[in-house]
Amino acid sequence: MEPDFLEVIGLTKTFPVALGFVPWLRNRGRVQRRTALEGISFGVRRGELFGLLGPNGAGKSTILRIVAGLVVADRGSVRVGGADVRSGAPDVRRRVGLCCTDDRSFYYRLSARRNLEYFGAMVGLYGANLRERIDEVVRLVDLSEDLDRRFDEFSSGMKQRLGIARGLLRDPELLIFDEPTRAVDPAHAAGIRAFLRDELVARRGKTVLLATNTLEEAWELCGRIAVLRRGRVVAVAPPSELDARAIGPVRYEITVDRTDDELLARTRAVTGLLGLEVRNAAEGVLLHVLLNADPRALTELLRAVSANGVCVSAIRPQERRPAEIFADLISEGFDAGRV
Amino acid sequence: MLAEFEIGTRKVWATFLRDARLMMSYRVAFFLGWFAIVASVVGLWFVSKLVPESAVFGNGRMATYFNYAVVNVAFVTLQSTALLCFENSIRNEQVYGTFEAVLATPTSVSLVVLAASAWAFTFALIQVALYLSVAMLLGLDLHHVNLASLAIFLILSITATVPIGIIGAAVVVRFKQTAPTQSIFGRASTVLAGVLFPVSLLPFWLQGVSWMLPLTHALAGIRGAFDGLSLQALSSDAIWLSAATLVLLPCSLYAFRAAVVRAKADGTLGQY
Repeated sequence: MEPDFLEVIGLTKTFPVALGFVPWLRNRGRVQRRTALEGISFGVRRGELFGLLGPNGAGKSTILRIVAGLVVADRGSVRVGGADVRSGAPDVRRRVGLCCTDDRSFYYRLSARRNLEYFGAMVGLYGANLRERIDEVVRLVDLSEDLDRRFDEFSSGMKQRLGIARGLLRDPELLIFDEPTRAVDPAHAAGIRAFLRDELVARRGKTVLLATNTLEEAWELCGRIAVLRRGRVVAVAPPSELDARAIGPVRYEITVDRTDDELLARTRAVTGLLGLEVRNAAEGVLLHVLLNADPRALTELLRAVSANGVCVSAIRPQERRPAEIFADLISEGFDAGRV
Repeated sequence: MLAEFEIGTRKVWATFLRDARLMMSYRVAFFLGWFAIVASVVGLWFVSKLVPESAVFGNGRMATYFNYAVVNVAFVTLQSTALLCFENSIRNEQVYGTFEAVLATPTSVSLVVLAASAWAFTFALIQVALYLSVAMLLGLDLHHVNLASLAIFLILSITATVPIGIIGAAVVVRFKQTAPTQSIFGRASTVLAGVLFPVSLLPFWLQGVSWMLPLTHALAGIRGAFDGLSLQALSSDAIWLSAATLVLLPCSLYAFRAAVVRAKADGTLGQY
């Protein structure tokens, strides 16, 4: 079996806490540190689109910056194609394209073309090769018409697309994206997602590491997702499997032939019932219930519903929305040890 | 190896073009800078009229006040550039937010910092040329210049001062602020290195301080070159500047690299 193209092994990172002058004196000049990452490990296969998902401050950007060689980990290692990021820095940086979509990463008073010419030279491209590459990447991100406009005239979305174009210049094997569709309008966001999935991964076989806050984006694009909470990985799995790993509330749609106040009272008394909605439908009465993850709750519910001769004709577990799964995975109650 | 050198040269050229374009994008400041040079030379010419012709400034043909001062003032531009261009460049990169983006490319830290000076020194040399051109119109005689000595002292005056500028850049990377040491050093050099008056007018103990400044030896060598002196005649200043370069340059590059490593460890590379 081919080894992972990107191997992240036991990454731990702490950052010094910036103190005001008086607290710093009180602390006798000692530096306090906060933990940003703790024992992060995962692997990304060649040609995979791998997502990092987590709330703000979970450590996604820190991981990306360590992989890009911009931050050094306290412990652990990152290997790209077998080469260690720390010891083989220039070689590794040739294989990694950081699609930094922060709009504060270009020269504002230069045109998009001049910016790309400069960054192209810094990744080792020049002459006709550089010009052709610039034309190709701006076509991919739909900026051909705006290439000679100054960067400070660009909209937020255009700046982000130019950041993607810059990351693609050298045609690297591993591409790193930090929230590539943030501040991009829905049409271009859909275009960028299609570009990541269909062009970069499916057609060109690139390996993509994507940090995102957008759940639907992660679910739609990623082959596997690492869910982060407070600097720890709480789950690594394909989106379809994350549902099974989550332990949060479960939704059911139960169809019964009739209902009355007594039935509803019995149902509301079920231990573990978190929500109940009643709707009339052609096939009977639909009970939309939300139960906690304890399997005994469903048994107790069915017992309560089916008493007094009420006929239960269907029980359908409802697919959970990504937001529900995500909220469960990053909740304090989730046991990372089960992953 | 050759391919690496070629790529490195192209990176320096790309940085040169970037900086030239950025500077010229501020058109008003760009053109006012030229005007300031003309005004400065004309001002020195008027001041020189106040100095009696019997007053002697140094030796040979450079001994008139106007010749002495205008050559010094012109070449102080190179020192100011060497002191400030690196920290200004890094500071601008931090403020633009481009520093991380540049360091994420397969480019060595040393090349990033040294390339930042390519346009700055070219521009400084153009400024020096304008100083001297205007001064020639007002009577500066350049017929006796020893070009070999001048070229050597131009290079040495830059290489001996550049390390102090690189250390300033390291301070910017580490502390996110320009260090006051650069301007203090620059101003002290202007007073103590004999820019506007000969070092011999200083008290004896300050002459010792003056001897320790690169600018003193750079200007002495450049004035000597303008007076037609050979490199052999100026060897003591040349040796001083060469030794300073050999000692300080590796130390300054080490300091800059250490500052970047520390910033990477603290995660502050992109902060400003």
